Amino acid sequence: MCGLNGIYAYHAAANAPTDAELTRTRGFMAARGPDGAGTWWSADRRIGFGHRRLSILDLSPKADQPMISEDGRFILVFNGEIYNSPELRSELERLGISFITKSDTEVILNLYRIIGKKIVERLRGMFAIGIWDTIKGELFIARDPYGIKPLYYSDDGWTFRFASQVKALIAGGGIGRESEPAGLVGFHLWGHIPDPFTLYREIRALPAGHTMIVDRWGARQPERYFSIAEVLASAKTARLSPSDRADLIKEQVAQSVRAHLLADVEVGVFLSAGVDSGAVLGLAGDAGLSKPRAITLGFSEFQGTSDDERHMSEKIAKYYGAEHIVRTVGKDEFIRDIPRILADMDQPTIDGINSWFVAKAAREIGLKVALSGLGGDELLAGYPSFTDVPRWWRRYRWLAGVPGAGFVTRLLLRTLFPTLVASRPKVAYVFDYAASWEGSYLLRRGLFMPPELCHWLDPEIMRVGLNRLRPLDRLRNTLTPDPGSDGARVCALESTHYMRDQLLRDADWAGMSHGLEIRTPLVDALLLRDVAPAIHGLHPGDGKRALAGSPRRSLPAFVTERAKTGFSVPIGAWLEAIDDRHDSVSVSTNGQTSRSWARSVLTSQLTGEPEPHAPKQAAA
Amino acid sequence: MSRSSLLALVTDAFGGFGGIAQYNRDLLTALASDYRIEVLPRHAPNQVGELAASPHQHKARQGRLAYAATAVTFSWHLRPDIVFCGHLFMAPLAALISRATGARLVVQFHGIEAWDAPRRLSRAAIERADLALCVSRYTRARVLSWSSLSPQRVVVLPNTVRDQFTPGNRTRARARFNLGEERVLLSVSRLDARERYKGQGSVIAALPNIVRANFNVTYLIAGEGDDRSRLECLAEEHGVRCRVRFLGKVATETLPDLYRAADLLVLPSTGEGFGIVFIESMACGTPALGLSKAGANDALCDGELGISVNGEDLADAICRALRHPSLAPAALAAEVQRRFGRQQFTERARALMNRFAQ
Repeated sequence: MCGLNGIYAYHAAANAPTDAELTRTRGFMAARGPDGAGTWWSADRRIGFGHRRLSILDLSPKADQPMISEDGRFILVFNGEIYNSPELRSELERLGISFITKSDTEVILNLYRIIGKKIVERLRGMFAIGIWDTIKGELFIARDPYGIKPLYYSDDGWTFRFASQVKALIAGGGIGRESEPAGLVGFHLWGHIPDPFTLYREIRALPAGHTMIVDRWGARQPERYFSIAEVLASAKTARLSPSDRADLIKEQVAQSVRAHLLADVEVGVFLSAGVDSGAVLGLAGDAGLSKPRAITLGFSEFQGTSDDERHMSEKIAKYYGAEHIVRTVGKDEFIRDIPRILADMDQPTIDGINSWFVAKAAREIGLKVALSGLGGDELLAGYPSFTDVPRWWRRYRWLAGVPGAGFVTRLLLRTLFPTLVASRPKVAYVFDYAASWEGSYLLRRGLFMPPELCHWLDPEIMRVGLNRLRPLDRLRNTLTPDPGSDGARVCALESTHYMRDQLLRDADWAGMSHGLEIRTPLVDALLLRDVAPAIHGLHPGDGKRALAGSPRRSLPAFVTERAKTGFSVPIGAWLEAIDDRHDSVSVSTNGQTSRSWARSVLTSQLTGEPEPHAPKQAAA
Repeated sequence: MSRSSLLALVTDAFGGFGGIAQYNRDLLTALASDYRIEVLPRHAPNQVGELAASPHQHKARQGRLAYAATAVTFSWHLRPDIVFCGHLFMAPLAALISRATGARLVVQFHGIEAWDAPRRLSRAAIERADLALCVSRYTRARVLSWSSLSPQRVVVLPNTVRDQFTPGNRTRARARFNLGEERVLLSVSRLDARERYKGQGSVIAALPNIVRANFNVTYLIAGEGDDRSRLECLAEEHGVRCRVRFLGKVATETLPDLYRAADLLVLPSTGEGFGIVFIESMACGTPALGLSKAGANDALCDGELGISVNGEDLADAICRALRHPSLAPAALAAEVQRRFGRQQFTERARALMNRFAQ
């Protein structure tokens, strides 16, 4: 887990890139890689790479980056972890290739020498990669199937720049800060900025599961190599009994957790009171992780409520023999840290505060790597959306398809039930959007509905943004080809949008701002492929039951029978302390607070200057 | 195997005058070995001269309807593989033909015409393009600000410089324009009242300060148009009429000597799509000075090739440029060729068409 960047002046007319810009961008990402820094320049100085290293596999300087292939042809920068690198290394060694490090970086480099860009189909893990081929004069960049690792680029028509962070590219000084209308519209619709857009017009994300080539004629269209919908659709003919489904999930989840333990440093676990993280903890123990340290985040404001996870997680930790560390965060600490949180936030998001504090806690006790249960709800039908979205679509699609139904309903609701519409604004749009799966999902996950944007955005920004973003088309594309079942459709929607664009982005910036690698064994392309046949027949609750039964000692009933609460932060109460405009309620229970928080976040991101942070040192 | 056919809908190309016509000529000539090119211009005021079989230019059709009807009829018979749209205002027609014939659509953006969002019909037509060529990074950025084109399809193909623009005998060139020992500033552009952003007026206003800084300076203004009388009055007002010479329209073959005769090309324009005169001048070994605005940044290479003035007093910047010339003429010309030379242009044009429009 590291920070990478590069500048390539591909156009003959372009000035040679400067060392100062490369170093500024790299330096901004110091917190991502506190263990080392490196740069590389081509002989003609037309392309340069920068890298900040967080050493996890092979801690020696031999594994530093940028790494140059033995024959000098390829130069690599890489951020992430390749969990099947031992197997790939053995394969390569059988072909007569020798290694000088134990790192996965060298495995990627040697594999690329042999199979080129097809490498992305062989790597299990999370990655953002940049490889320069000195013979072909070609830059290859790639991002993992789920987009766990970020990769942003900017192309001004002469010079191509890429980096792990948006703010790092801005800090380089070579890129303008004009706002991207599609990013602004997307943020208001969902509370995060959807890929490939960013807050800035000149910067885009390489979409998850895509590769891209840049040569002296410029950047080619990103090429997709992975699609969640395709994986699910290809498995829809499988017919499994409920017990076969459960067995398949148990076996594959256990394999994934085992693979995600690959490290030369201690691996900890984020532990909440839910099934996902508890199962990951149990499976990690099964796979040989001895007495792992499990970290739980608690909030004094939640004491005595169902949102307080401390007591329950302590019982889970004890059940699996883990060393339990509880970190309690209060209002004072939040107010003290909020400027830093907003500075660390790479792109505006209404979430991520919990991840930021738990990562801070992990780093305080000296951890560099932690496993997270993130992704379990999306993969195994854990969210209410798996029930709501199909139900809404079935219940309302007929009426929603009638022209004018939405308008009439809005009028009636606003007249007859103004309080309801004020507290739950999206209710008024049910008959505008529930005619389709994508519309129903937008209703479920949307922060604001498209017609509401006119209250917040300039009409021209809104017009250009909606035209460019095409929110419903985006969602519809996620369902192409048709995943084949209700559960698979919602799985594709949640995994591709909410999880990929919000949860995974938040996990990255929040973890990396503390130099902590957050691993997500339940977000894994191989796992998805292997459990896809089971996803089609899952009823809400089945998947989580199977997950709870995955460890050799199944999660106890006090966990599986607990009502789902989500991982919430008492942000409403905290914001009240710094801004009396906010209501004193938590984010997870009141959409109005989310909306208000979203506006505050956006303002801070649009007006603030990017500020780099020095690497945070572990306290232990 | 027969070559692919390309139908070029252009305002003017062969027989035209000005930067857009020149760009079209350069581009179509660069592609002539790969495509069978049929050019349909709106205007061709000058003698077209002898052309090879490709590009083949047809008779100009000035009226809009006549032009559209000819283009549609022509495309129906030709069945082009590619439709090249040489100007934004022809985009709806080009998109219609492209759609009807299944041809790929390539749209060219020059400068100021593409900086603000066009009308809905034009925007929709442009967003159908397989490839959008822009003369500068600035034009590209502006197009991307209002269109939903994929950024990878919007590429920069800057103006190129023709072979006759090379360093030469400076003494002979100065003699040709009756120049003695004075320092010579030069602007080359149309004198159009609608294009006052070109900035000749700013140079005239700066002349008194340049003279006060002990420069015996003459300002040559090449080009003709309806703004000339205003500029003459301005020179009178500033008391520098005797230092400003209006040359009128300068023939293409005379231009290299004119650049060679000058000490500094000055065009403090705020609205250049690219600014071909900057690179023509530097290709002749004469440094060029412009504002750090819009497409001029590209021709000046952000100040690495030419002199890019950003917020500084224009007279001070000109004085400094006269005192400290940058590269030697031959080195400056070589650098222009490396960045904007004909070979670069041809290779890039062919590669881009091959990548996006095949």
